[in-house]
Amino acid sequence: MRFFSNYSFILIFVAILIAYLIVNGSATTFNGIMNILRHSSVVGIMSFGMGLVIITGGIDLSVGSMLALIGGIGVVIFNNTQSIFLTLLVVLAVGCLLGFINGILIGKVKMPPFIVTLATMLIYRSISQYYLRTLTLSIYSMDASSPAFDPIYSFGQTKVFGFIPMAGVVLLFITVIMVFISTSTKFGKSVYAVGSNQRAARLAGISVEWTQVIVYTITGLLCGVSTFMWLAMNGSVDAATIGKSNEMYAIAAVVIGGISMSGGKGKLLGVLFGAMSYTIIDKIISSLGLDALINDSIKGSILLLAVFIQNAIPALRAKLHKSAG
Amino acid sequence: MEMLRMSNISKAFFGVSVLDSVDFSVEIGEVHALLGENGAGKSTLMNILAGVIPRDSGTILFDGKPMEHNTVQSTEQAGIAFVHQELNLFNDLKVYENIFLRKEILTKLGTLDKQEMIRKTRDLMDRLGVDIDPVATVSELETSKKQLLEIAKALHAEAKLFILDEPTTALNNNEIEHLFKIMRSLKDQGKSFIFISHKMTEIFTIADRFTVLRNGQMISSGNIADTTPTAVTRMMVGSSYSDSEIYESRTLGDQILELENYSGTGFTDISLSIRKGEIVGFTGLKGAGISELMQTIFGVLPHTGGTLTIEGKPCSGDIHNAMKHRVGMIAANRKENSILPDFTLLENNYISEHTLSRRKPIIRKRMERARFLKLREMLNIRCTSDSDLITSLSGGNQQKVILARWLNTDPDILLMDNPTQGIDVGAKAEIYKLILELARQGKTILVNTLEIPELQKVADRCVVFYHGHIHSVLSHEEITEERVMLAATNALGEAERVVRQ
Repeated sequence: MRFFSNYSFILIFVAILIAYLIVNGSATTFNGIMNILRHSSVVGIMSFGMGLVIITGGIDLSVGSMLALIGGIGVVIFNNTQSIFLTLLVVLAVGCLLGFINGILIGKVKMPPFIVTLATMLIYRSISQYYLRTLTLSIYSMDASSPAFDPIYSFGQTKVFGFIPMAGVVLLFITVIMVFISTSTKFGKSVYAVGSNQRAARLAGISVEWTQVIVYTITGLLCGVSTFMWLAMNGSVDAATIGKSNEMYAIAAVVIGGISMSGGKGKLLGVLFGAMSYTIIDKIISSLGLDALINDSIKGSILLLAVFIQNAIPALRAKLHKSAG
Repeated sequence: MEMLRMSNISKAFFGVSVLDSVDFSVEIGEVHALLGENGAGKSTLMNILAGVIPRDSGTILFDGKPMEHNTVQSTEQAGIAFVHQELNLFNDLKVYENIFLRKEILTKLGTLDKQEMIRKTRDLMDRLGVDIDPVATVSELETSKKQLLEIAKALHAEAKLFILDEPTTALNNNEIEHLFKIMRSLKDQGKSFIFISHKMTEIFTIADRFTVLRNGQMISSGNIADTTPTAVTRMMVGSSYSDSEIYESRTLGDQILELENYSGTGFTDISLSIRKGEIVGFTGLKGAGISELMQTIFGVLPHTGGTLTIEGKPCSGDIHNAMKHRVGMIAANRKENSILPDFTLLENNYISEHTLSRRKPIIRKRMERARFLKLREMLNIRCTSDSDLITSLSGGNQQKVILARWLNTDPDILLMDNPTQGIDVGAKAEIYKLILELARQGKTILVNTLEIPELQKVADRCVVFYHGHIHSVLSHEEITEERVMLAATNALGEAERVVRQ
């Protein structure tokens, strides 16, 4: 029973996957399944940052907007340097910087995370859009004629071992790293401690301030990775739409993954399954031929259902024992 | 005449029997002490009485009427008021709002009659002899006032039977006396009290009768006048409990900690020299400034003047800095300040040591488990496995885990702030023995406590604080209830002034 509540995200994922297989029927291809990994990649990677942040009891609403700003700068660097390596470096560095800004305001200046990241959510995207305007362009496009374009684009489309999309591989790689950090490192445990009882964590010797700064910086870094994958897969960034609502999907992925909003508990592994669950829902909707606009209704309902299950099971268990005993 | 009779009460959780055919009765106009170690079943019995949880079997007769299908509301209406050990106040609301919650006085128009509620609250406070401002926000009150407010809430409810669960943990002796005065006058009016406490002195002052629970069973019941603290403790603990002297002096080393004109929030101009291996007791009334002193030494609060020297080196900075000076602090109020509720025992154990061993970022589980096992043995922590959640342990065992956490950092100096707060007799005795053993091994221990018997059992010296200053320092032999209280209340100072006139 305890396994069920600790790993509820696997059961939810399997249920949704089965639903997809039923709906899709004979149209299911191996490619299609692999595409789930690919399409979960961008939101999935940044969701790990969101997961860490939520475990500390905070929140980061700016992740979607970070994509817009990091992406814009990334494209500009690419077009001006023709270097994939530099683009990667800058993208990761800018991600860290944007996350660090959040982290300092929240961890050191002690402002509330919701407000800080709400503000940076507005600011980061706005800067990206404004800068685009000064370039008199409508979207950031990577220069397709550049010699560096083909390598990076094929990186985005390539399949490892011939069948696993690179984006999926990167997602799995990030999963392994993040799960390792959260379960087997001292830093990981200190993140949980801060979320479990901030005062006790401080008195136990943990630097709550720096833990928070690092956690938001990691989130920024992961947004950088997401952005790089986006650039590799799409070659362009529309500052107005990229990452819109991504913060909501990331939060949903974290919650379906079994991480409590109050912080201090949950497994980061769940984030992977939460993100993939959401991608599959997208696919189910398009398979059913439903209007894409109904998308969010269904996603919202699944979120409610998932949280209901997570909360109802312990409550049901307690009630059964209460009346039976 | 009986006010309450609980017969044959049984209760089991997940198949584990917690109460086994317990009989418990309270007369009208009586203070009845309910005694037992943590885990004996006292809270469960009271929760059943108050309607928080249902019983599995047995009957309850209250005020002549049988009680079936109790809920918190139905028992409140029947006239039972439960003052819980953990404060249940709304910190963001005002005092009068807390008192009148769900029982607000309305004007003829149906709006809140704040003036009337404030006036009634002031009356209640006067009756109690308590200085609490009705319009103060609860979060601004000190813990002792909060505890008195909880009691005031119950008294306001005009109940017939009051359940007081450890009501005096945050109160000083004056406040306790006041509370007892109120209880006595209410007794005369025919009200009854169920008094749950671990403090023998209080129990033998205020209670008329007692009932002892052990392992979910009713062991004994009788008149307080017919028994002694030792006899009662033996009933609670079961095996032969001896009150014998466990204190032993030992050879002390060189000076290890020195305070010179040390000042901070809540205390000023503290000068003290402590030697290696010493156990120094600290005591005083609430607000004496000892907890603040310990927190400042440990780097939780900033110091405002003077110096702290540890092993010859000046020590000032944050908590990490104090830990590098090999200081550890077992904080007061473990629920708020020490316990990481989502963590297992193992995780609670290694969390502090990890902040010192950050250079090695990866957790080596086997090593950590071995370290925990050693500490578990040394401290006699009762648990099933190191992957239990810390919240599954009793208060005394939780405190031992916190002590283990700090011993795991291999400190030279341990600051203990009210280490036996809310811990039963058996666990307390174990902790005293541990303190003496650690000192024998060369650790230096500073203990802040309100319980003078505790000081007598472990302290080499006793520093008595008064309003943020050191009033006097007593040697081990000089530690008596009288001398300490005189110093803590500065009564001696006033007496001298009178004589001089």
